[in-house]
Amino acid sequence: MDFPGYTNRRLVIALAACLVLALVQPTVAHHSFAAEFDANKPVTLKGAVTNLEWANPHIWLYLDVKNDDGSVQPWQCEGGPPNTLTRNGWTKDSLKIGDQVTIEGVLAKDGSKTCNARLVKLPDGRSVFAGSLGGDNPPPPKQPH
Amino acid sequence: MRLHVIAALVLVAPSFVLAQRGAGPSAAPPAPAPHFPDGTPNLGRDPGEKGIWNVPWVRNMGLRIDKTEAGTDLPSSGGVVGLVGHDLKRDGSRFEPLVPFMPWSAAVYDYNVANESKYDPEGYCLPPGGPRMMATPYPMEIIQLPEQKRTIMTFEGATHIWREIYMDGREHPKGDALNPSYLGHSVGHWEGETLVVDVVGFNEATWLDYSGHPHTDQLHVIEKFTRRNKNVLHYEATIDDPGAYTKPWTVAWNVPWRANGELAEYICQENNQYLFRLTDDFGQPIFGKRP
Repeated sequence: MDFPGYTNRRLVIALAACLVLALVQPTVAHHSFAAEFDANKPVTLKGAVTNLEWANPHIWLYLDVKNDDGSVQPWQCEGGPPNTLTRNGWTKDSLKIGDQVTIEGVLAKDGSKTCNARLVKLPDGRSVFAGSLGGDNPPPPKQPH
Repeated sequence: MRLHVIAALVLVAPSFVLAQRGAGPSAAPPAPAPHFPDGTPNLGRDPGEKGIWNVPWVRNMGLRIDKTEAGTDLPSSGGVVGLVGHDLKRDGSRFEPLVPFMPWSAAVYDYNVANESKYDPEGYCLPPGGPRMMATPYPMEIIQLPEQKRTIMTFEGATHIWREIYMDGREHPKGDALNPSYLGHSVGHWEGETLVVDVVGFNEATWLDYSGHPHTDQLHVIEKFTRRNKNVLHYEATIDDPGAYTKPWTVAWNVPWRANGELAEYICQENNQYLFRLTDDFGQPIFGKRP
């Protein structure tokens, strides 16, 4: 397929987004989302991965975000369960320590530097759905194009 | 223009999913439910094939009472695939006139609703219990062992559990012999195309659903599993708990088949950081501070 003016790569990303939506398990918030996170407080974080806990019931992603003054602020973000992410094409090696990522998510209600990740832009440019669908979880963010 | 094409693809994708999962119109009629040579319905795989039941998230069973024949209520779920019994606006006992609450169970339910299911036992990685096994959104399988007169149901989540259903005609244990448990004591028999399972002996450590309907150890559940065609398992549960509700109430939904699916390991307890962050109504840590 050739769409002049649009790279095939973008089309692939868009189709991948469709695929992710199609394959994503409907759910899998193992605990209450609304009790912890505020769906009305979106956040975008850019930083370097410092650790990835690929473990049940939810993965945890840790990253160092550089502030405007050059200081570094550590953040932690919760994602979906490893099984769900595996079925959606993730692996435990999708992110490595030091990788630069961009996370779109929502903030924790307690004001800590904690987020619930919805979309993670990987080092290779792919944006992948990172979280859970359904229940009181907000819908996945729009895929960037 | 091209952007519109891509946007349309993204927007249309979920409706394809609905069609594939039997919730919408589909071109070819689904294959009939498989049967064993003796005529018993097969609720599992045919020889040589894969497949799992893709259990939906039934968030609020109070919204499934008047829909026992309608398999799904996706429109009220905002179209989110696999989500059943979902309507934030109706949360709270006064918005659920069909649930035969007692005053105490209504009060407990409203407390659970008000704190947004913060103390949901499943959040602690405890088993779902009762009919919530079929409402917790991790895949499951039904394995029939007719020569052994029992049926096994295995669940990937929420805590990697299995249950045994005795098909040998035995009765439930009586009195102290009935040890309260998370999943209860199950005996089953076939009524035509439907597997009927009678369950008693539940402990009180679980909720009926994510929304927080409570139950007591007097809970008695009658489940009906009917494979309507190859791709749809109709599930019905009558909740009879004279300790919490004034009369029995019946809920139902459909469970879609995911061909080629297989169960995976899911050990919820592995890294449940939710416990470390959980606070009580006064803001104090319940299980200790984050290490």
